[in-house]
Amino acid sequence: MFMRKTLAVVAFTAPLAFVACGGEKQEAPAAAPATTQAAAPGAGAGGAAAKGSASIGGKISFAGTAPAPEKIKVSADPYCQKEHKDGLERKVVDVKDGGLKDVFVYVKSGVTGTYPPPTDPVELDQSGCMYKPHIVALQVGQPLKIKNNDETLHNIHPRPAVNQEFNVGQARKGMEVTKVFDKKEVMIPVGCDVHPWMRSFISVLDHPFFAVTDEDGKYEIKGLPAGEYEVEAVHEKLKSQMGKITVKDGEKATLDLSYKG
Amino acid sequence: MPLELSADAVGGSPGRSPFAPGRHRLSLLLVASTLALIFVGGLVTSTGSGLSVPDWPLSYGMVMPPMVGGVFYEHGHRMVASFVGFLTLVLAIWTARSETRAGVRRLAWLALAAVIAQGVLGGLTVLFLLPTPISVTHACLAQAFFCITIALAYQTSREWLSSAGTRDDVVGVRGAAVAATAAAFGQLVLGALMRHIGAGLAVPDFPRMYGRWIPPAEVLEQVPVAVHVAHRAGAVIVLAFVLRLALRATRDGHVRLARPAQLALALVFVQIALGALTVITGKAVLPTTAHVATGAAILGLCWFSTLRTRRHLHAAMSAPAVAGLGDPAVS
Repeated sequence: MFMRKTLAVVAFTAPLAFVACGGEKQEAPAAAPATTQAAAPGAGAGGAAAKGSASIGGKISFAGTAPAPEKIKVSADPYCQKEHKDGLERKVVDVKDGGLKDVFVYVKSGVTGTYPPPTDPVELDQSGCMYKPHIVALQVGQPLKIKNNDETLHNIHPRPAVNQEFNVGQARKGMEVTKVFDKKEVMIPVGCDVHPWMRSFISVLDHPFFAVTDEDGKYEIKGLPAGEYEVEAVHEKLKSQMGKITVKDGEKATLDLSYKG
Repeated sequence: MPLELSADAVGGSPGRSPFAPGRHRLSLLLVASTLALIFVGGLVTSTGSGLSVPDWPLSYGMVMPPMVGGVFYEHGHRMVASFVGFLTLVLAIWTARSETRAGVRRLAWLALAAVIAQGVLGGLTVLFLLPTPISVTHACLAQAFFCITIALAYQTSREWLSSAGTRDDVVGVRGAAVAATAAAFGQLVLGALMRHIGAGLAVPDFPRMYGRWIPPAEVLEQVPVAVHVAHRAGAVIVLAFVLRLALRATRDGHVRLARPAQLALALVFVQIALGALTVITGKAVLPTTAHVATGAAILGLCWFSTLRTRRHLHAAMSAPAVAGLGDPAVS
């Protein structure tokens, strides 16, 4: 009688667990993980419906004293500690010769027409217990392939404000999962709850006119039609800077923006 | 109230059920394990590890994943919870087979139902990415389950089985214990809400709030601040009710009634200090987690006081003449 009651409870709760666990599309670990490449700035520009020949480029600079690099303890995971034998430092404000790295620069307004998303996925790699690249940018509907290149487990947990939140585990090296964001949203924080120092930001736009600054703080947005645009630069800590610019067909216009420390 | 005992479970004539030392020891182990589980559960939230294992009931598709980073806390919590669930199952079956009191048998089944519900809630909170209502319910059910285990342990104790109340509650300890328990449980609900909406640092200073004893109205309009302020006000209310209980239990003169109440009062002061440390340290893991576990201990002691006073004292009619008559079996 007692066993029957217990079994009844288990029989009731077990399907709940399986129902709630369903729906995740996770690919099996690849035998030999593919080489990962960070999404290049403006990589999504290929699918523009109204392709132009103008471009906007420039430098995002930082004036002042950048905060000291943050020292991170990675001893909670022996694999991560092995990957960072000399310790791990994170420069949230990464400045070189006045140029600010990892700023997401995009055309905020002025874009007309529709731009179908590229079918090529943008990749977000987990390697050395870090996200690569730190800033990811893609179009609404474009696939985002998330890979685990570490010999430890990770969970990928974006915390969007308007898109659907998800939390996916990747227990083994070589595992991949593909996700699609269906709404535009800038700088969605992404974290791994296993390794709290891992942070990345995903920006999703409904057009391909965006870029991420390189280590010199430089960026270039290509393929723009002639017009007047409002450009926003967003940094994870320093927030945003705005600029306006007019471009003509075949021309490269320069728009420099600056943060102060 | 976390639990309303049936008359059968609370009253019961002395000697109706024989003392079962093994089952009583198991119930004590369950109480201790549950308090430990509450501490470990607090660690999960304090370290921000609640979603470090994204699946359930397995962890990364495994029974035993590598215990690295946040997985150590989240899967560790699942392991301790499984142990508590196993103990509860064994105790429920053992009680059902050997206990003569129907009320105690029902209580043991209730404990099993509660621990299963708690496990499912824990799973749902992971799968649905920590929705506040489920997470808060999970936290509150943990405290209610803790109270059930205390009731089971006390009702299987030699003290419960060998002594029943013979004195009138002249100074009102029974009512004071019930009020203190209700206040402590209400405060734990507020604490759980504050914790799961991330309002632990919504008021960044202590003991003042935004530099004042009563925070500005425009700040109070924000829900996290309001919940945080309510939790601080709740601490004052709990202090008042537990102090009242301790004073009345001490005045009653019965050491078994006074001790848990006095210990609860001492823990309230510790708890206030831990709450202050939680804010001052910006939610450092240890004081924050100890604050959760100490809150449970205060509730447990108040609840235990409720059970003990109900066991040893009759509701007072108006008979101060019998107030001095102690129960020789429990003096």
